[in-house]
Amino acid sequence: MAEPLIRMTNIRKSYGRVQALEDANFHVNEREIVGLLGDNGAGKSTLIKVLSGAVPLTSGDIFIRGKKVSLRSTSDAIAHGIETIYQDSALVTQLSIARNLFLGREPIKPPRFLNRMDQEAMNTVARDLLKQVGISKNIPPTTPIGSLSGGERQAVAIARAMHFDSDLIILDEPTNNLGVAETQGVLSFVRSARDSGHSCIFIAHNIHHVFQVVDRIVVMRRGKVVADDIDPKTTSVAEVERIITGMSDKEIRDAITDGKPSH
Amino acid sequence: MENHSLVPRLIARPEFGPFVLLVVEIAVFWSFNHDFLSPQNISNTLAFTVELGLIALAMTLLMTSGEFDLSVGSLFGFSPVLMWTLFNSGLTSLEAGFVAALLVAAFIGLVNGWFVTQLKIPSFLVTLGMLLVVRGTALFVTDGFPQRTWSAEGSWLAEALVGDFFIGPFRIYMSLFWFIAAAIALGYVLTQSRTGNWIQAAGGNPSAARARGVNVSGVKIGLFVLSSVMASLAGVISSLRTSAANPNSGTGYELEVIAMVVIGGTALTGGRGTIIGTVLGILILRVMRNGIVLIGVPGLAYNIFIGAIILGMMALHSWLERRHQAGT
Ligand SMILES: Nc1ncnc2c1ncn2[C@@H]1O[C@H](COP(=O)(O)OP(=O)(O)OP(=O)(O)O)[C@@H](O)[C@H]1O
Ligand SMILES: [Mg+2]
Repeated sequence: MAEPLIRMTNIRKSYGRVQALEDANFHVNEREIVGLLGDNGAGKSTLIKVLSGAVPLTSGDIFIRGKKVSLRSTSDAIAHGIETIYQDSALVTQLSIARNLFLGREPIKPPRFLNRMDQEAMNTVARDLLKQVGISKNIPPTTPIGSLSGGERQAVAIARAMHFDSDLIILDEPTNNLGVAETQGVLSFVRSARDSGHSCIFIAHNIHHVFQVVDRIVVMRRGKVVADDIDPKTTSVAEVERIITGMSDKEIRDAITDGKPSH
Repeated sequence: MENHSLVPRLIARPEFGPFVLLVVEIAVFWSFNHDFLSPQNISNTLAFTVELGLIALAMTLLMTSGEFDLSVGSLFGFSPVLMWTLFNSGLTSLEAGFVAALLVAAFIGLVNGWFVTQLKIPSFLVTLGMLLVVRGTALFVTDGFPQRTWSAEGSWLAEALVGDFFIGPFRIYMSLFWFIAAAIALGYVLTQSRTGNWIQAAGGNPSAARARGVNVSGVKIGLFVLSSVMASLAGVISSLRTSAANPNSGTGYELEVIAMVVIGGTALTGGRGTIIGTVLGILILRVMRNGIVLIGVPGLAYNIFIGAIILGMMALHSWLERRHQAGT
């Protein structure tokens, strides 16, 4: 079997006496959208924070394409091709779309010693990218992020991850507080990211949203991964809901294998 | 938004309010007293304006990055005292004393930046502490007395910084050109360079900037150094022009400078800054001080007007900001 893009083994994370992750095992394959589900406090956000370098793990290993890595900060993770998208926090509201897209990697116009940004190039690329992620409205790339809607902001963040070739794009509850049209927008950004070769982790409480985009569903409960190979095409929403709310391991196995839990 | 016509776009700019205020101010003072626009009055006003202005330009960048510096007034007083003390004691030439004063200022900026970024202490507290240390040192080494200042005429340093000449009836000091050069250079840095993008990001959303690999601490430390060095330079220029080095000079300048910057439209909370706005803010406050005296309002009433301008401008900026956020 080919090495997955990301493999996390026996991940433990404790906040003081709270054990947020207990020997969690998790992986993401190349070109795959994984839906990460679980009740409140199950440990989903903690797992992806460990993966995005936002919090240090207590013990466990992370491998990228089979190579062990240590992710000490979010910029570490980004350098390894892991990009996390939060609804607001990853963008600077005062700066324009184009300036946000290229923040930290601004192209320079020669002569280099003048340190001058190539703003035309930035705007041109930004305009293309916005079209690619499916923002149909004609929003100029010079628009400040502050005047975009929540869904549009995430589109910008996804566009950025795609442009800089992140291997893995993580979205933690991207559809919260979004309207119907914007939610569909975000879902289609996720699909277009996969179609151009990226992998995604998609966390959402709305199972229907998850079912619409993901290739595989992983369920967490009380800091553990309790099911990691649920196929949304052959499993019903009701079954997944039952797994999330918790049954014995045997019942879960039954639910996944024959689709008829003995409840 | 691109199809808006020119006039509403001009009005929406943060510099528009300050610009109108400046024009009104000048018109009112001039209508009361035509001497207000006399070459002599303009020359006199400009001489000191650019000295404070140098500090305000650096403060604009620092405030855009989300920090500010209360120690600038104390450095304005301390640096010339240090330069003249070194020179009078025969330890260094005037030029070497000048370089030493700038280096000490840079070090002070470094310490400010280190406390703010590494120990995570708010810049308000760090630079307030530094204000007391620097001002206290200036008073201590001089026993509170002004330093003897040799008339610096003929020294190339004095010529380069405050050499004066006449353009028509206007008496112009070299410092005006340094101010213009600094305004252009820092305006360029803020709006055109990638450093400017990092400065704005550092003030607007530091954790997002850090995640993109921007060295937020480095940017801020650099700006603290710039702020200290500019305050030091301004103090030396003022001292050479007036042939005085008083350990108390510069008292209260920090607040006047911050007022100039925010009146111009730079956000106190960081993320957005404008050098053009700051230049307007500098002129607004200096014209106000000069005009009030000239039309016969008691100078002691000056602060009433300054306070009113600050409040009025803040109200305007916050209104524009809300309209902006609403996406109009
Ligand atoms: N900073 C923290 N300090 C202490 N405990 C924490 C912290 N962050 C999370 N926890 C705890 O860790 C556990 C897992 O939290 P986590 O945020 O990962 O859950 P989640 O699955 O994302 O839940 P939700 O669906 O509500 O977002 C919870 O019990 C939570 O209280
Ligand atoms: Mg969560």
